Amino acid sequence: MEQTTSLTPQKTFTCQLCDLSSPFTYYGQKPPNTRAIVLLEECFVTQDPFSPDKEKFLVLGSTCSLCSTCVCVGPDCSLFYTKRFCMQCVNKHLKQFPLQIQAELAKKKPSSKSAAS
Amino acid sequence: MDSDRRRDSRSWDWDSPQCRAQLDEVFFRRHDYIQAGSPEHREFWSFFDRFQRFKTKRDVSGSGAKEDREDGKKTGTGKVDLGLPKEYDARYRINVSVCTRDVEERLGKSEHRGRQRSSGPGSEEISDCRLALLHFLDFSQRQSFGKLAKLRREQKTLPIFQYRDRIVELVRLHPVVVVAGDTGCGKSTQVPQYLLSAGFNHIACTQPRRIACISLAKRVSFESLNQYGSKVGYQIRFETTRTPATKLLFLTEGLLLRQIQQDRTLSQYQVLIVDEVHERHLHCDFLLGVLRSLLSDHPDLRLILMSATINIKLFSDYFGGAPVLQVPGRLFPIQVIYQPIPTEEQPSRSEKLDPRPYLRILQGIDQRYPPEERGDLLLFLSGVAEISTIQEACQVYATHTRRWIVLPLHSTLSLAQQDKVFDISPPAVRKCIISTNIAETSVTIDGVRFVVDSGKVKEMSFDPKAKMQRLQEFWISRASSEQRKGRAGRTGPGVCYRLYAESDYDAFAPYPVPEIHRVALDSLILQMKSMSLGDPLSFVFIDPPPAASIQTAVTYLKQQGALDSRGELTSIGSLLAQLPVDVVIGKMLVLGSLFHLVDPVLTVAAALSVQSPFLRSSQHNPDCATARQPLQSNHGDPFTLLNTFNAWVEVKGERGGGSRKWCRRRGLEEQRLYEMVNLRRQFKELLRSHGLLESESSTPSGGDRGQRRERLKERRKLYQMKRDHEQQESSRRKVLRMDEGHDGEFSSGSDTEAAGKGKKDKGGSGQNLDIQEVKFKLRHNVSELQEAASVSQDMSSRQQALLKLLLCRGLYPQLALPDEHNSTRKDSDQVFHTRNKQGVVIHPTSVFASDPEVLQVPEDDTREIGPDRRDSSRHQLLAFVTLLETNKPYLSNCVRVPALQALLLVANSVDSNADCTRLVVDGWLELELREPEEALKVLSTALTLRSEWERLLLAQLGQSTMGGPAVQGVSRKVMEKLSEGLVRFLLYNEVTYSLRRLTAFQTQNLYIGPQSQSDLPDTKAPDVNPLFPGVEAKPDPIKGGLRVASFFNYNSLADSKDLYSECLRTFWSCPNCDLYMPLTPLERMQHEASCRPAAEQQQPEEEPEGGKAGSSSVSSLTRVYHCDVCDEDLTLTSTEILKHKRNHMYSAK
Repeated sequence: MEQTTSLTPQKTFTCQLCDLSSPFTYYGQKPPNTRAIVLLEECFVTQDPFSPDKEKFLVLGSTCSLCSTCVCVGPDCSLFYTKRFCMQCVNKHLKQFPLQIQAELAKKKPSSKSAAS
Repeated sequence: MDSDRRRDSRSWDWDSPQCRAQLDEVFFRRHDYIQAGSPEHREFWSFFDRFQRFKTKRDVSGSGAKEDREDGKKTGTGKVDLGLPKEYDARYRINVSVCTRDVEERLGKSEHRGRQRSSGPGSEEISDCRLALLHFLDFSQRQSFGKLAKLRREQKTLPIFQYRDRIVELVRLHPVVVVAGDTGCGKSTQVPQYLLSAGFNHIACTQPRRIACISLAKRVSFESLNQYGSKVGYQIRFETTRTPATKLLFLTEGLLLRQIQQDRTLSQYQVLIVDEVHERHLHCDFLLGVLRSLLSDHPDLRLILMSATINIKLFSDYFGGAPVLQVPGRLFPIQVIYQPIPTEEQPSRSEKLDPRPYLRILQGIDQRYPPEERGDLLLFLSGVAEISTIQEACQVYATHTRRWIVLPLHSTLSLAQQDKVFDISPPAVRKCIISTNIAETSVTIDGVRFVVDSGKVKEMSFDPKAKMQRLQEFWISRASSEQRKGRAGRTGPGVCYRLYAESDYDAFAPYPVPEIHRVALDSLILQMKSMSLGDPLSFVFIDPPPAASIQTAVTYLKQQGALDSRGELTSIGSLLAQLPVDVVIGKMLVLGSLFHLVDPVLTVAAALSVQSPFLRSSQHNPDCATARQPLQSNHGDPFTLLNTFNAWVEVKGERGGGSRKWCRRRGLEEQRLYEMVNLRRQFKELLRSHGLLESESSTPSGGDRGQRRERLKERRKLYQMKRDHEQQESSRRKVLRMDEGHDGEFSSGSDTEAAGKGKKDKGGSGQNLDIQEVKFKLRHNVSELQEAASVSQDMSSRQQALLKLLLCRGLYPQLALPDEHNSTRKDSDQVFHTRNKQGVVIHPTSVFASDPEVLQVPEDDTREIGPDRRDSSRHQLLAFVTLLETNKPYLSNCVRVPALQALLLVANSVDSNADCTRLVVDGWLELELREPEEALKVLSTALTLRSEWERLLLAQLGQSTMGGPAVQGVSRKVMEKLSEGLVRFLLYNEVTYSLRRLTAFQTQNLYIGPQSQSDLPDTKAPDVNPLFPGVEAKPDPIKGGLRVASFFNYNSLADSKDLYSECLRTFWSCPNCDLYMPLTPLERMQHEASCRPAAEQQQPEEEPEGGKAGSSSVSSLTRVYHCDVCDEDLTLTSTEILKHKRNHMYSAK
């Protein structure tokens, strides 16, 4: 047991926006045992801890395609729309995003603010 | 799109299983990420249905919106072109893609050929399914990530989170750290995780309760994202999830102590966390003491004590001023209302509680708080009787108002009933949980808003003088009072009603009395001895127990034979120290292994170590009573338990899960039987590992290969069931019915309930899986158990007699004598006496409470000699497991044994007069035998049997310490001979005698006292003791008389009757040899002890050779005798010595 731990030192992913952190086991687009599934971005991936199946993966986060900030996939931190954008970049370039997304974000904002206050 | 599909999808039907199966062939094959038949696969298709419905709805309502979106797209250009697609598609929000060549080919192929085939998915269907799959994957990613994020969020909001780095730093720098934090601060779940992620390995965290080990391990493994791994595990008495990969282990305090016993340095752990130290359990206090001394040998070990913010300085000081980290708790504000009970409503000692103060609070809540505002009530009372009184009254109120569901909570309820307190009440109805102090720490119920605190607790205390446990009512401590109050503020602001005055509160003791001050210390002292911790009196406890209670324990252990006269462990003692049971029960096990009574003894020992399976609430149910009838044995409660267990095993073998119903019908808590069967197995393994039991006679698990494969398949299925159960266990709470309260109290175990449940079982057998049954099957070999059960079911009366004797020897000195006037008393007024406590009664649950006649001496058998003397050969004693005083001193778990025989075979001290017609046992029981001839015979048989028994026992134990596991210490033949002898002695003894307690006055002048040599006429003769080669027969320095065996003093009773009988010789012929001569009683006993029947003498080789046993058995026949007259050393048998001496005597005359 000592050996296995020393062989795979824990690498930790930390979201630079919300500080969520969790160990990850793979970084890239093709996590092990995913067969036909390919990720469309380079991701920090771990084994899904909530599935009894050892082969299920969970994407924790990736880097923003614009500013390269390391962000988690949580809806408050980043958004994927063909590429990964951190929330800061999304807000900066909000107008370029489809209305659908703009509306969604507008709806979310007041509620998240009220929850924070 | 949907309509498109409908138009040309010939026979394609999304709802048809065949069609779906065709798609499974494309997307969910055996090597795919999701496989057909897996739970995810099922989830996908149900997701698919929802997804299609959603799409249809959107397509119908939102065709116009599409245009808008495209408009918006065009205007949205910023400085940097992000290169986003022009048209919005939810598909773009998914960061996964499914692409395999064959799917692509399929899509391409079906473009051409799809139409020709009337069945099979077309490209349309394939791409629909693929899209749904992408959305499904995205959905499950979101779901899992959401869980993770929520988890991390909750961890961060715990009060202890801010101290994370500080804790790790302190642990790195100091060998001992105290973390003090109140309920809800998160210390138990978080501290181990902080240490894990800081890189510490091999962490053990102790808990006072088994259930906490399990639930913490579950929670922490979930939080540390290792729910399905074994990084975090638990280990309790019968169960462990520990693997070599386990880094963090939750275990009980007792178990850690056992581990220290095996490995003094505890090198397997790097960090030890002792949680809940403030609860001050016996084991915990002791553990701290042991760890304190262990730290010096193991400087790398890190110790963390975790406690509520109670008496922190005590712990810190005990470990040389260890640093303390105090963490605030997380409790909502709680309003305290003092409502002392007015004097006219205060019950006097004997009366029932007056429910009025409690009802007023319920009423008050109903008036003050609208029913829509949720929040339950938790009421603390001292005991079960109090609970049922108040429950009854509250139930009447609840039925009337329909705003309450009243639920009792205490440890003697069935588990199913205990579990009800976690269920949810219907809207506008509150739970009123009436509990003992079990809800103070052990059981945590969320959603409690109101607490009612009676301020009382019933606590066990130990009376060392009467050797009796006592359950008494006390005022609680301020610490408990605060703990109870805190239960109201776990989920929101709450109210605590205290049924005492604030001045009472101020007068409470600050902390509860630690357990070590309240209980018998026998097991503790035994364990200390086996850990060679030196003199218990000088051991540095955190709060030393009174010296008197240590002394009592040492004396008791000496009486039990676990310690020798110097207070050192005997060989049986060191074995007992390793058994996790009471000393008396351990003794039974060891004794049982000697005779071939292992199976019933294992069962009885296990049964006596768990709570009774007989539910109290069913006792007055006539149906249960009738159904229980065949299980009852009038030999004693252990026999009833044995019968019950055996019958249950029988049912398990025949009907498997049907045992649940069988138990319910008899008012049995099946959980206890499961505990028994587990414990029984543990005992068996312990005996085996100590060489006291032959290892399983290499049964190749029977059957041919086919059967074995079948069994393997069965086991796999069971494992799967267990795993499935664990997964769906995620506490789906039921909603309580309004009549829940009465149900539990008035009709538990009745047939109506059984029938109702039975129907449900048939309806959904999958959901109503009996997980205990599954675990049972996994753990035990039913047919093996059945075999063992049938062995003890068919016990002959001889085996039964022997078993009784073993139980009695195990339980000794816990014996009680029926009062001589019992035959004239009512059944319910039967009185008994123990050596240290007079006037005890039999607990109503005992078989002897309902059938006391079997204890009385049959009338026709007695001979009235005088007003106080009744001679009979049928006197009986009770051996009992516990003596507990509640409102009366009660004996429970009793066995009846024949008095004279049992006493002579088990008692530590027997004194006789000169002709052995008067015997005093342990200084409190007097037996008078009518015929000197008979008396001598009985005594001498007993002496012989006992010395043989002792010899075999030592041989067996000696063997076990030498560690030859396969070798049976004592040969079967020798053993059978002894048991035959014992049985004959027990069953076929027609000696009549009287039996009575000595009065205080009589005990004062009991012994003749030490005498000068010249007063003893025949001191020279018995200077070599044939009965116990090791023990020399010499004058007893205190009592007087002659110490013939370690337990037998000859002629030490002050008996005015006949001064010369001890030197009076009567002619006697030995049945075994041709000796015929006048002998004194003592000489005769000596001769009998060494003179064996001719048949036996010829085969001394039969004894096991090469052991101590061999040499001692040979030497028991001949020994060196120094004759003063000849002045020579002669090697002679005892008979020869007698003859030799006789020659001198005659020649002298």
